[in-house]
Amino acid sequence: MAYATLLTTVGIIAAIYALLAIGMNMHWGDTGLLNFAHAGFFAVGAYASTIVTTPTTSGLLAERTVGFAFPVVVGLVVAAVLAAVVGVVIALTSVRLQGDYLAMVTLSAAEIIRLIVKNESWLTSGAQGINNIPRPAAGAFPLQVGGFTVGYDLFYLGLMLAIVGASYLVFTRLSSSPFGRVLHAIREDEDVPRALGKRTATFKLKSFGLGAGLAGLAGALWSHYFFAINPTMFLPALTFSIWAAVIIGGAGSYAGAIVGTAFIVGIRQVTRFLPSDIPFGNELPFIRLILIGVALIVVLYFRPQGLLGDRERMAAGQDMGGS
Amino acid sequence: MATFDPQFIWFGLVSGSLIALGALGLTLIFGILDFINIAYGEYMALGAFIAFGLNVEYGLPLVVAALVGVLAMGPIAIALDKVVFQHFRKRSATVLLVVSIGLSFILRNVIRVVWGSGSKRFDVPIEQAPTYFGIQILADQVLIILLSLVVLGGTFLLLQRTDVGIAMRAASDDSELARIRGVDTNRLVLYVWLVGGVIAGLAGVMLGLDGQLRPNMGFLALIPIFAAVILGGIGDPIGAVVGGYAIGLTQELSVIFIPTEYKAIIGLVLLVIGLLTRPDGLFGEATR
Amino acid sequence: MSADPLLAVEDLQKSFGGLTAVDGASFTVEAGTVVGLIGPNGAGKSTTFNLVTGFYEADGGSVRFRGEDVVGLAPEERAQRGMIRTFQITRELTGMRVRQNMHLGGQDHDGEKVVHALAGTAADQEREIASRAEDILKQLELWDLRDEYAGNLSGGQRKLLELGRALMTEPDLLLLDEPMAGVNPSLTDDIIDMIEELKGRGLTFLIVEHDIDMIMDISDTVIGMHQGRVLTSGPPEEVQQNEELLEAYIGGAV
Repeated sequence: MAYATLLTTVGIIAAIYALLAIGMNMHWGDTGLLNFAHAGFFAVGAYASTIVTTPTTSGLLAERTVGFAFPVVVGLVVAAVLAAVVGVVIALTSVRLQGDYLAMVTLSAAEIIRLIVKNESWLTSGAQGINNIPRPAAGAFPLQVGGFTVGYDLFYLGLMLAIVGASYLVFTRLSSSPFGRVLHAIREDEDVPRALGKRTATFKLKSFGLGAGLAGLAGALWSHYFFAINPTMFLPALTFSIWAAVIIGGAGSYAGAIVGTAFIVGIRQVTRFLPSDIPFGNELPFIRLILIGVALIVVLYFRPQGLLGDRERMAAGQDMGGS
Repeated sequence: MATFDPQFIWFGLVSGSLIALGALGLTLIFGILDFINIAYGEYMALGAFIAFGLNVEYGLPLVVAALVGVLAMGPIAIALDKVVFQHFRKRSATVLLVVSIGLSFILRNVIRVVWGSGSKRFDVPIEQAPTYFGIQILADQVLIILLSLVVLGGTFLLLQRTDVGIAMRAASDDSELARIRGVDTNRLVLYVWLVGGVIAGLAGVMLGLDGQLRPNMGFLALIPIFAAVILGGIGDPIGAVVGGYAIGLTQELSVIFIPTEYKAIIGLVLLVIGLLTRPDGLFGEATR
Repeated sequence: MSADPLLAVEDLQKSFGGLTAVDGASFTVEAGTVVGLIGPNGAGKSTTFNLVTGFYEADGGSVRFRGEDVVGLAPEERAQRGMIRTFQITRELTGMRVRQNMHLGGQDHDGEKVVHALAGTAADQEREIASRAEDILKQLELWDLRDEYAGNLSGGQRKLLELGRALMTEPDLLLLDEPMAGVNPSLTDDIIDMIEELKGRGLTFLIVEHDIDMIMDISDTVIGMHQGRVLTSGPPEEVQQNEELLEAYIGGAV
């Protein structure tokens, strides 16, 4: 029985990460944008939704002074919108410039967001984190359906799968639309759509905002499931893992992004089960990241189109394969 | 928030020296190899941790340990190029940037595995800080500034006076042209990693000397370094150094206006202002 | 025809570091004409193209399109006003298919807005764009390759695709940078016919070409440049006799 709960939790984590990967794929796979602040948007969404739905507590250790008690749905919306806005503001600095600049700005911005979360305890409770985050519809579970008992975790997994499915549909629709066509053109060679009259900076901002907004939603969904958050959940290692997921799965393909996420989550979870008294047991989290880094570089070398990517497009195109 | 204190200018010179070094190394690599090496921060950290390991775990005197740490980064940078970057030489700069991020994570976590993830200090005696003209001055800080100036000066001499250096500048402006003129680009690449690696090692060791060593110290140092590189114009060594000192001073003086935890933000703010007003860098050279 | 030329370039200046690429170039392009731009290598023709279309920022001078000063406008803003250019070294969106390249040229397409893209309310416009693309692709004999990745096309085919994509925008002024280079000779006549026909429908052309015969054949006006300046401008027969220009070709780099 505990096994089932564990699997369900892993599934929920994978689904939340899949949302991050979908957003990242719009940035990188569709538009060719280098965004290294994704964990930052994740954090913005998590904290925004939490602050909006979790009242402050009183007591000796209570540092947070800002808190509301809106329903979870409001929290989710605020999370997505705020993360999108933050994303667009950050991107505004660099959309008219070469991609390297956006990489450096987002890398720096992610760090700044982390600093703010850690230091502004009146808002975020700092390193302590925030507890007692409300879980949506918690009271209704466990629920008897027919002869079957549905626990809260199973419900949340179902919810997450539905959201991932919906996001997949929305984003693939956008990608195969004329809007997506302009994004792809920007990815291939930005001068061309400009020469054809497209305001590429605006398209880049929209792409950035959409992906960041989805990351914010993912953050909110994370915080409401785990009902407690703290700054260590939103480290650069997460952004990096999602990058690896998108590239290993197949840059440019939403299905690939989801498959890549499964792979990455798989590595993380499988290595969790190795007993900790094996050599390097304590260093496992770090060894995991080393493995992911190696996998990323190896995939980039041997199979730049990733697991599910389009080899033909890669050979014809210029983003990861050719020079 | 604090009131103005000439001490801040002193700190600014120290920070500025470190940022200038890092920015110079990063910009030189960009100039020759045409990509931003995000793992450069980890080259700095690695130099510091190698020195730390020799100093604290093996008991070597700091000077010796530091020397080994600094010099080791030259060949290590070359080796990393051979093992990793060389295979992607024909790919786009974007791919190289992503590969360098992968490498950065690998190196950062290798440091955590080998030396642990907590913060460390070099084995140095606690010093008195004599006061001159109202400014407290530590011998370490003087060393950092002087050594930085020496290395910066030496690097510029290299670039201006030696064949290798001149070839580097030519290749930095136009690598195709340099190749046609018979410059051995392979040897050049070797030199640039050597020089860049050693500079990174030195910056890392001094960073550790000035404060503590942490596995992510290199990554954190990258923010002001990026700012300096961009403000100075990507690929422009003089700009990188001027930018480095400018950012160092501004960072330290900023505590007058903002809480000290956010000093790093100044780097980002300056970077943003720089990008919005002068996307080609302070000296207008950052065309790609 | 209105009194104002469609395009009026005056005293255009551009330097790169120490090198002056364009040094006080001035010329006009009348609406409904084909204007050829010739000159030896290094004369500044491509730089002029980039300056006129906004890909380079001019150091000095003015560019007036339909009477409006466009210096300072971004390339996409000039393109939206009807000024479309092709590139000398083709910029094919290699990772996209031929058809997608073409459809990209559609203007004022609501499908490019997020809300419409999601709701699917721009399907009519998309159909219209697809139909026009089909016509042009067939004229350029690229229809069979419509689902190929543009990166797999030959050099000449890419040139044609670039032309077709530009035509999709229904431009007022089309700046073609060496449109014939590498194109199958059997097709060049067809393209010349296409240009004549479009001219008849009101399109204006400014063409850079190295094939002097072709330029003299097709142009109403020819502009000769050398070392960043306009040496001469006028009907082909006149320009052909121009001594300075002849010397520039023979004496200068070829």
